[in-house]
Amino acid sequence: MTVKEPMSALVKNPQGAPRKNTIIEARNVDVFYGKFQALKDINITMEENSVTAFIGPSGCGKSTFLRCFNRMNDYIDEFSIKGEVLIDNKKVYWKNVAVEELRKEVGMVFQKPNPFPKSIFDNVAYGLKIQGINDKTFVEERVVKSLKDVALWDEVKDEMKKSALALSGGQQQRLCIARTLAVKPKIILMDEPTSALDPISTAKIEELMFELKKEYTIVIVTHNMQQAGRISDKTAFFYMGDLVEYGDTKQIFTNPKKERTQNYITGRFG
Amino acid sequence: MKFSEKIIVALLKFAASITIITTIGIIMVLLFETINFFKEVSFWEFITDKEWTPLFAQKHFGILPLVTGTLLTTLIAIMVALPVGLTIAVYLNMYAPKGFRKTVKPLLEVLAAIPTVVYGFFALSVVTPFLQSIYPDLAGFNALSAGIVMGIMIIPFVSSLSEDALYAVPKTLKEASFGMGSTRFQTSFKVMVPAASSGIIVSIILAISRAIGETMIVAIAAGQQPRFGFDPTVPIETITAYIVQVSMGDVPHGTLEYRTIFAAGITLFAFTFVLNSVSFWIKKRYQEKYD
Repeated sequence: MTVKEPMSALVKNPQGAPRKNTIIEARNVDVFYGKFQALKDINITMEENSVTAFIGPSGCGKSTFLRCFNRMNDYIDEFSIKGEVLIDNKKVYWKNVAVEELRKEVGMVFQKPNPFPKSIFDNVAYGLKIQGINDKTFVEERVVKSLKDVALWDEVKDEMKKSALALSGGQQQRLCIARTLAVKPKIILMDEPTSALDPISTAKIEELMFELKKEYTIVIVTHNMQQAGRISDKTAFFYMGDLVEYGDTKQIFTNPKKERTQNYITGRFG
Repeated sequence: MKFSEKIIVALLKFAASITIITTIGIIMVLLFETINFFKEVSFWEFITDKEWTPLFAQKHFGILPLVTGTLLTTLIAIMVALPVGLTIAVYLNMYAPKGFRKTVKPLLEVLAAIPTVVYGFFALSVVTPFLQSIYPDLAGFNALSAGIVMGIMIIPFVSSLSEDALYAVPKTLKEASFGMGSTRFQTSFKVMVPAASSGIIVSIILAISRAIGETMIVAIAAGQQPRFGFDPTVPIETITAYIVQVSMGDVPHGTLEYRTIFAAGITLFAFTFVLNSVSFWIKKRYQEKYD
């Protein structure tokens, strides 16, 4: 089992600076849970191959917004949305959208590592299997490549048949990222992916994100201000359902335009 | 400790010990009578002879015909209850609206509350004539309709306990599967059912255990002819039905004929005891540990 293509071959626009295209766009998005309005008139665009961080106090709507991109809110009773969410210029909430297809394009990593109670191999191969891909060599190569991409391969290569639940929390989370990568999505949504992990595992995953953004667009929700500062290109600050401020991470953290942002990032509230 | 508290503790201990003493008492009686039985009949004959005719002039004491009768009706029952029960469990857990699940689950459990004599009569007077209209050679008493109706009776065992097992699977696994782009069907059968498999297996074993011990349905609808083999269209006799037959009949107490029911009873007890132990062991051993 070898990987044929080196990572660099897969980077889009290898010559010169990559041209940035808008891949995610929200227009006048309102979200309601019953009568409660969780998001108010959100407008935002995100570029390809960038890392965008959503920050803000608990209950500000950032996770809700993240879950609008792959429609994981569909399972919540009384959820309703107005406005448009566009991925690759396609309407996410259009009634004829095949949600399953959408989620193959927009992968998700959750707060708590949630590997399936299956072997390490079967976990990573899961997305391919449900798409009906049974070509053994292809699946094996993809599994190995995904595990290498998340720097887990060296740790698990001799025990691919072992249950994923036997791995440590940090390893499990990297496995969950590998599972998402295996189906080659365009976008990876991360909902506080390191909040349940120790500092070393967290550092590994942050390091990973630098590599991943060469191939993928990443949107991450985080409560960790330093993390947002370290890993993201752009930062969006949410407060009580409003998108208060959105801009280059450097600018948000050094020279915020709004006082509320200033107060939050300096730890005066939240 | 206060005197009144001592009385309370003593009362609680007494209440708890009643069940244990009863169990021990039953096992003792079973063992005692069975030992007496085996003084007259060889154990080898008991487990190898293919005829069971203790009430006839030409006596044979082979338990096998009763065992195959029991296994046959149980097998048919499980073949009905497992697919139906599991489908119901998956439907209630993965597809049905929350309110629907809350109303339907207790309603299903009502199936288990119907007196088994009603089921037996239903098998004999409804299911058998119906099956005869399709397959005219079916005997009036047969293992097939008794097994099918017994399967209907144990559906709630499978569906309710399996649904509990599915419900106990962490929500995060469901999210992970949906997040990967799985359909509901794929999530149900590739993630949820395997993750709940230990609980589902336990529910099946308990249902089997219930089917093996079931008496009234088979006594009414399956016949009273001990027959070695697995033909579902002819009258058979199960262990339980034989015990009923002798208990209700005019066999004098203390005779060898009378003791056969204890030998049959202990065989039945061995079956259900093993099954319950296995399910207990699986529950402890294979419960997936999620934090």
